[in-house]
Amino acid sequence: MNYFIKRALAPTILAAALTATPALAQKSDDTLRVALAEEILNLDYNYTTKREYIILAQMTDTTLFDLDPTTQEFKPAVATGYEYADDTTIDVSLRDDVKFHDGSTLSAEDVAYTYNWIIREDSESNAGGTVGRWLDKAEVTGPNTVRFHLKSVYPLVLRDMAQRIMLRKVGSYDAGGTIDRDAMAQHLIGTGPYKVTSFEPGQELVLERFEDFFGEKPAIQKIVVRNIPDVGTQQAEMMSGGIDWMFKVPLDLAESLGATPLATHLSGPDLRIAFIVLDAAGYTDADGPLTNVKVRQAINHALNKAEMAKYLIGGSAEAIHTACHPAQFGCDQSVQDYPYDPEAAKALLAEAGFADGFPLELWAYRDKPVAEAVSADLTAVGIDVNLRYVKLESLNQARAAQDIPAYIGTWGSGGTADTAAIARIHFADDTDRNLSGDAALATEVLAAEQTSDQNERAKIYTNALTTIADQAYWAPLFTYSANYLVSPDLEFPLDPDGLPRLQNSSWK
Amino acid sequence: MLKYILLRSLLALAVAFTVSLAAFFLLNVATDPAQAIAGEDATQEVVDMIRARYGLDQPLPVRYFEWLGGVLRGDFGESYYWHKPVAELVAERAGVTITLALAALSVTILIAIPLGALAALNPNSWIDRMALGVAVSAQAVPNFWLGLIMIILFAVMIPIFPVSGDDTWRHFVLPAFVLGASSVPAIMRLTRTGLIEVMGADYIRTARSKGFRGGALLRRHALRNALLPVISVLAVQLGQKFGGSVITESIFAINGLGRLALESILGADIPTVQMLIFVFAIVFVAMNLLADIINAILDPRIRIG
Repeated sequence: MNYFIKRALAPTILAAALTATPALAQKSDDTLRVALAEEILNLDYNYTTKREYIILAQMTDTTLFDLDPTTQEFKPAVATGYEYADDTTIDVSLRDDVKFHDGSTLSAEDVAYTYNWIIREDSESNAGGTVGRWLDKAEVTGPNTVRFHLKSVYPLVLRDMAQRIMLRKVGSYDAGGTIDRDAMAQHLIGTGPYKVTSFEPGQELVLERFEDFFGEKPAIQKIVVRNIPDVGTQQAEMMSGGIDWMFKVPLDLAESLGATPLATHLSGPDLRIAFIVLDAAGYTDADGPLTNVKVRQAINHALNKAEMAKYLIGGSAEAIHTACHPAQFGCDQSVQDYPYDPEAAKALLAEAGFADGFPLELWAYRDKPVAEAVSADLTAVGIDVNLRYVKLESLNQARAAQDIPAYIGTWGSGGTADTAAIARIHFADDTDRNLSGDAALATEVLAAEQTSDQNERAKIYTNALTTIADQAYWAPLFTYSANYLVSPDLEFPLDPDGLPRLQNSSWK
Repeated sequence: MLKYILLRSLLALAVAFTVSLAAFFLLNVATDPAQAIAGEDATQEVVDMIRARYGLDQPLPVRYFEWLGGVLRGDFGESYYWHKPVAELVAERAGVTITLALAALSVTILIAIPLGALAALNPNSWIDRMALGVAVSAQAVPNFWLGLIMIILFAVMIPIFPVSGDDTWRHFVLPAFVLGASSVPAIMRLTRTGLIEVMGADYIRTARSKGFRGGALLRRHALRNALLPVISVLAVQLGQKFGGSVITESIFAINGLGRLALESILGADIPTVQMLIFVFAIVFVAMNLLADIINAILDPRIRIG
């Protein structure tokens, strides 16, 4: 519906923008008003997964470590440091001045309780799968020290500690022995720079700066998050001064409203990338064209991904040639690139014995214009594309049944700037997303998770990405961009990992 | 009459269950609730965990009959998203939608009946043509478009009403207008046709001969009969307002049943969608029944049953 609205109303919105009174930003009462289309129903990130919840959790919660989005280094947060007692035992020391929003002080028992709760089967936490893979148990070893016993070597421990586990008080989920997984969903007691002062699920969340926060205090006193499902309504609110920040704005609308004095358009990076996965293993056809590396390389050459990025995604989107986002750790850019060259594509197809092309069923579930552009490029080199544009669920089901010869996929890596966040899920041997059939590659990808040595990890990923590129298991397409509209009075810094950090906003 | 009401009530229940059965299977075929809850980038592990948590790994007939068994015990289940009983959720939101529906109906009445009367009193004149033009335009304009235009005009360019929300009566003005406008054509044309017919009746000629003219003639003699069909259609329209509020509530960020329905459908929150469909179907059939009863009361010549 929004597609039609924005096209039908774009001229009207522009006209209104030119005649409307300049927006009354909320700078005067030091309140940042934010619009989210996604309904906010649960404030506990230990029980949610979606991006909007990560944005909120960064304001209301803290973790043991922080990931610096620029340097990609892990910095102490609630933890003051860590030390490996051996490969599978980590001692973490804690600050003694961390306060919960109810005024109590965080203890080592709280930290151990949180981690042990998450890995309990009956906790049913959304983080349980990730953390349960590596954590055996957490144990209090002193007033401000916790020992983490790992099941095996796991180099992404700090990443998970920095991004997945929000710290809770002892008994938060099982006070009096009664399990209540929703205990923190609406009445959150966190340790973050903002505390919840009121919450109406699906409607409005009000956050106030937490004066006892142990870290750097945010500049803005109050943040009001409103759920406004329609992007057109969000725009109208922006124009009338009802909100100061909105994201996931369609590019053309962001540009048109951003060109007026009512709002500023910001375009930042997004860790999400788009790519085509090819059935190199021959699951759908053991002797099919896609099992031939020359055909897969031809497909890579046939795609004008730079124009797709520029005209179909826009903003800061860029063409990529790796099976990862260039901003991710380990995403070596020196691997084989296949520049746009339809003639080279045709030559490769001819070499492979498909001079007259071949029929290809291409699946896609989002960004239809991109899917159509890909189809057009492949058709131009003689491949007869049958585009199957379906819902994500249908694609997932067909992929699980190994019934997809090629599909356009996207992956956001959960906001994690590490190749591990995309490599394992797509190239390990236990995932149906892996259509390469390359057992050596699967072993290599897992090996990168078996060492804590970052140099070694980088080397392994270089090898893996080189194989993926040489064998053209994927046809990488482009990175996405994130478009924001913000009040002209608002200073909203954009980070290279594409995660919006509202707590870093300030007034100009 | 009582037998008729009982029969229609049973029919309403049958309609509600049939619609809910169709909706249940369609939703499950069209979406994967576990995937929708987990989000686009969720790993299969998380999706499977959610599927098991909500019993979505059970065969569809088993799940439907479990739901049906719950309904027969008065338990409509728990929302996947809100983690609370669906009945409670619907009860919380119903007030806002009822307010909006009644306000929208008032808007319809306030615009359509005077416009229809004006057109009827001046048949084939420019007033009549203009009224018809307004009616046709209102019918042609989609709700979401009119909603955004109203927001731009009366909340942005001339900021006299808030853009969105449902905190005060002022928040309901624009959405009530938008929702009410869609019913104006039907009511206006019905009023016009009814009045033109009535104005040619013998008893109106008699009233005229007694000296009744203009407003008095209209109020005392013509409207009462002309509005008979209008009243029953209004009852049906009120039922439609509940279903029609889906788009309007979403545009104006009103936390009523319509917005809940849209978000539950998009999020594949099947228990919530099931109950909402149940409620909408019951309301719609009940409003039709009410229309028949009102007609019977207003016009003793009509006998139902």
